[in-house]
Amino acid sequence: MFYLKVLEITSLYTILVLGVYLMTGLTGLFSLGQGAFVSIGAYTAAIAYMRFGVPFPLALALAVLMGALLGFLVGIPTLRLRRDYFLLVTFGLSEMVRAGLLYLAQLTGGALGMAGMPRKVGLPLILGSIVVITFITYSLKRSRFGRDCIAIRDDELAASMVGINVYAHKMKVFIISSAITAYGGALYAFSILFIEPNIFNWLESAKLIIITFVGGLNSIAGVIAASVIYYSFGEFFRFIDVWRDVLLAVVVVLVIIFRPGGLFQGLSLLPSKLKAMRSGR
Amino acid sequence: MEILKVEGISKHFGGVVAVEGFSMVQRDNQISGIIGPNGAGKTTVFNLITGATPVDRGRVLFMEQEITRFPAHRRADLGIARTFQNIRLFGNLTVLDNMKVAHDMKVRYTLWEEMLRLPRVRRQEKAIDEKARHFLAYLGLDSYADQKPQNLPYGIQRRLELARTLMTEPRIVLLDEPAAGLNPQEVRDLMATIRKIQEENALTIVIVEHHMELIMNICSLIHVLDFGKKIAEGEPEAIKKNEQVLQAYLGEEV
Repeated sequence: MFYLKVLEITSLYTILVLGVYLMTGLTGLFSLGQGAFVSIGAYTAAIAYMRFGVPFPLALALAVLMGALLGFLVGIPTLRLRRDYFLLVTFGLSEMVRAGLLYLAQLTGGALGMAGMPRKVGLPLILGSIVVITFITYSLKRSRFGRDCIAIRDDELAASMVGINVYAHKMKVFIISSAITAYGGALYAFSILFIEPNIFNWLESAKLIIITFVGGLNSIAGVIAASVIYYSFGEFFRFIDVWRDVLLAVVVVLVIIFRPGGLFQGLSLLPSKLKAMRSGR
Repeated sequence: MEILKVEGISKHFGGVVAVEGFSMVQRDNQISGIIGPNGAGKTTVFNLITGATPVDRGRVLFMEQEITRFPAHRRADLGIARTFQNIRLFGNLTVLDNMKVAHDMKVRYTLWEEMLRLPRVRRQEKAIDEKARHFLAYLGLDSYADQKPQNLPYGIQRRLELARTLMTEPRIVLLDEPAAGLNPQEVRDLMATIRKIQEENALTIVIVEHHMELIMNICSLIHVLDFGKKIAEGEPEAIKKNEQVLQAYLGEEV
């Protein structure tokens, strides 16, 4: 039972990691504001279901739409900015959303948060979602969308010179990422059954970025592996408390020094690639 | 036909005059050159034509359409391609993907189809793959398809950048110092390559270059820039004898 719970929490966070993969891993956009999208997703679904009696599947869809909409609105002014400014703006965004949730206490329950959601989300739904999201992410990665992401990450000017609309492409990336993250937040609300404005602070956002780097920017499988290891490790080693983070920091430093391409660089779940790896290519 | 017409474009960076009132007319299917001492504003002219930097004053017309305010990616889509003085390939993409990226603006499948990897996506991806391999083979780069560009010799990287411009289905190609860093043999190969792609693809080419042998050999028209202003324009033979040009190059043999 404990293991199932660990798997469930780990899987929930893995959805959030997948949410930043296209954005941070492929496109090189760093967001410290994922908490804003987790919260928007969680609160939209919870409020729709609890306060307005919207059926659960529709509440999930609403959460995704709200996440995408917020991504679009935030993206308009920020995606033309330099990447470091984008990072700062998203950081500010998460604080704004947090303050907003506290302020709108009548709707959101304020600092007390919201509880009493029925348990609508179980392991099958979460794992199924991971499979679908991974499939979509992987499909995007291996065709035009993914190529353009990497080209933009490498050299924005050269990308625009070969005809890529850099701003529009970043916008698509950010919207998709926001939608996935909000979806993860909605699942969280109906799995953990308690949400409050601090469920996901900027440090948690930073961890998503770190996991993406440790797993390997160009490897979805590597990122998923890193995510599963980190979050399940976190549950198993709760007794060593803050030392978990120290250990994580050490691992990060070692990976950056010895395997700059990521811990699982080149790891792939495709049969053809596995064969190539075994034959030592 | 006048494929490209530049009318009195200017660009200042703070107090520095990079380009001042530069005009040129580029006829279809011809190779022209832009020469001038270091810092004369040659690369800036390319940046203004391609939209990498916005112009302060003046107009740019491409195939009789004003494109002065068009964003760079739209100009690329219309058929303006370029290479860079300091090679700018995508380091995290393979040689093959570097080629494909340059064709992505022509791709017709939608994001939704792409997410689900529907048949149309697979079909078009296959076509793009073939096109990319075709142009790699065309310039003798097919054996490098799966490598990362930074692992390739300098001359090959230059050649790849040239091949990449062809993937954009260009009408005009701007080459920014294509011979920089190449040895004499490679420069001769480059000249042959430029002639070949110009003739076989009915392209218009503009070259910024310091390598006089290359310029004098393959350009039918030459513009000379000095301190951001055009000081001469003419055929290679005339430019070689032009007093002002000789003075600008002071001591350099033209």
